[in-house]
Amino acid sequence: MAVPPVVGPLTGRKAVVAKLGMDAHWRGAIVVANAFRDAGMEVVYVGHAEPAMIARTALDEDAVLVGLSTLSGNHISEVPRVVAALEEAGVHDVAVVVGGTVPPADAAKLKDSGVDEVFPTGSSLDTIMTRIADLVEEYAARREPAEA
Amino acid sequence: MASTPPQIADVPLATESDRPFSTASGFPLPVAAGDEHVAHGLAERLGQPGSPPFTRGIHPSMYRTRPWTIRQLAGFGSATDTNERYRLLLEQGATGINGVFDYPSLRAFGSDDEQAASDVGRGGVAVDVRDDFLDLFADIPLAETSVSLVSSQPIGAVPHLAMFLWAARQRGFRAEQLTGTSQNDFLMETAITIAPKALPPAASFRLECDVVEFTAREMPGWNPISVTGYNYREAGSDAPLELALTLAHGQAVAREMIDRGLDPRTILPRLSFFLCAHNDLFEEVAKFRAARRMWSRWVRDVLGVDDERSQRFRFHVQTSGATNVARFAHVNIARGALQGLAAVLGGTQSLHINGYDEAVSIPTEHAALTALRTQYVLLHESGVAGSADPLGGSYLVEHLTDAMETRVAAMIREIDELGGIVAATESGWVHREISTLAFAHERSISDGERKVVGINVQADGDDAPPELFELPTDTVNRQRERIAATRDRRDAGKVKEALARLGADCGQGRNVMPASLAAVDADVTLGEFGDTFREVLGQWQFPLW
Repeated sequence: MAVPPVVGPLTGRKAVVAKLGMDAHWRGAIVVANAFRDAGMEVVYVGHAEPAMIARTALDEDAVLVGLSTLSGNHISEVPRVVAALEEAGVHDVAVVVGGTVPPADAAKLKDSGVDEVFPTGSSLDTIMTRIADLVEEYAARREPAEA
Repeated sequence: MASTPPQIADVPLATESDRPFSTASGFPLPVAAGDEHVAHGLAERLGQPGSPPFTRGIHPSMYRTRPWTIRQLAGFGSATDTNERYRLLLEQGATGINGVFDYPSLRAFGSDDEQAASDVGRGGVAVDVRDDFLDLFADIPLAETSVSLVSSQPIGAVPHLAMFLWAARQRGFRAEQLTGTSQNDFLMETAITIAPKALPPAASFRLECDVVEFTAREMPGWNPISVTGYNYREAGSDAPLELALTLAHGQAVAREMIDRGLDPRTILPRLSFFLCAHNDLFEEVAKFRAARRMWSRWVRDVLGVDDERSQRFRFHVQTSGATNVARFAHVNIARGALQGLAAVLGGTQSLHINGYDEAVSIPTEHAALTALRTQYVLLHESGVAGSADPLGGSYLVEHLTDAMETRVAAMIREIDELGGIVAATESGWVHREISTLAFAHERSISDGERKVVGINVQADGDDAPPELFELPTDTVNRQRERIAATRDRRDAGKVKEALARLGADCGQGRNVMPASLAAVDADVTLGEFGDTFREVLGQWQFPLW
């Protein structure tokens, strides 16, 4: 099966990539950040940051995507904090995705809390990039009528 | 390295279709290896088991007389929770303790730190005060049980060791009775698991060496460092980079200790190493064999130390967590067994096999005990433990061992040209090398070039996900109460004095261990240790992106 082209909607757009809490395993975050860059995005890697700082960066950079990475299991408490901080900072119409060691039941909970997509361990880069391109396009479509 | 690596014949790639037939790290594989793939002088490169250059193992009869230590990693929740798991593993046949700390404890943040809250008791045990070390090792006979403290980062390794020693002495043990290991690796702090801020590499390396110097004088049975390759591999390195970083780092520690005026024959026998067992069986065996040979020759030729005990490369192995797949998690039992086999064929001194569920959560008792029993299958059923270096003399394995040595030697030269391992870390070279390989690895899976069961091969079909481990939920509050109670109870004047001495010794370049022991006597908390080191030594923005 041919890999669908995913470059278009992401080229020139900004992604904020962050690690949650104190979990320090950066491999997943950096690998996916490289894939974002390959797809033409500009990546702002903030590493470990408090939720408010992640939200402020997303706002200042006019990001279309916030990518959160975790391995330790801290997603259950940390992700809702980031979602709330984005809300509070007035960051709307930005895709929020989580990647890492997230069991299926937790993924459902995160989606309920306002995350657009969860990519558990083993997700392929193509799956991730295709889904993200769709999400970014959906949000762009939502923004345009308001901006028109 | 001073020794010239063996000259081996190139293996020509006949056609493009041969391309897939290379090892995981890209060494081309001959269709059938033969005499022509092994350089001359093999007998000299091999020696005998138990003799230099130790290619064939560090003991003459290897596992017949010295079975590897069955050392399963454990740590979660509070010290009491983890103590129960330690005792369960020991009752069930583990022969050593392998204790991992949670993320804040590894980098010496208190459980009461705002950013720590979500990670307290996750991925390891939470420790905040010296009493936690009493609970952690309650009822464990420390004179007979070797204890590996996975205090990966020097900023945590210093206070952890001081608190461990305090707790052991409270129970009547003397420092010289204690056997075990501190991981204590500056690269863990500055290149591998960095968060949220790191000490500058030179400062972290210095704390690491303070521990080495201290134990050389006070704790003769302690391995003060587990020079790590494992975590670089897990972060994305291939096998040669894993080994090059490990050896270059070990060399830097040895040189620093000699500069500090210690006898290398005291230090070298206490340096231990920690490598990964990844998927590619023969490449991994070759890596372990090459590691022993290269270290032994470096000690002899560069340091000029003839003492054979000083030339032995002793190591622990953990199977690769990064190769585990969440889908069809039980298949990870097979991966663990194969990787464990590589470690044993490669002559490890100590082994942890991962739980099959670790791609989803920390291991349940069922997963932990299955991994432990897998080690007994290797030891008693597989037959591979009866003869030292069973693959020695295999054309393919000797070829790969030589090829590994050649490539690793070139990488070590590159690190030396950058100014050594500390400078290579400061410059971002280490981060760049590892992250580039990590991305290439992931791309090769996405492209289908690298095949992984459950991801791009055999990925369909019903899956029965494993039962998940449930973490104790009250750890944060328990730890916070414990810190508060400690602060209420202790003598504030003595604490202030102890912290001032710790800061002064640290700032003036004295070995921090004596002041650390005094600080533990005053009941200084782990978070206060970390704050002092961070304040005095400064913080470093790691060049990761």
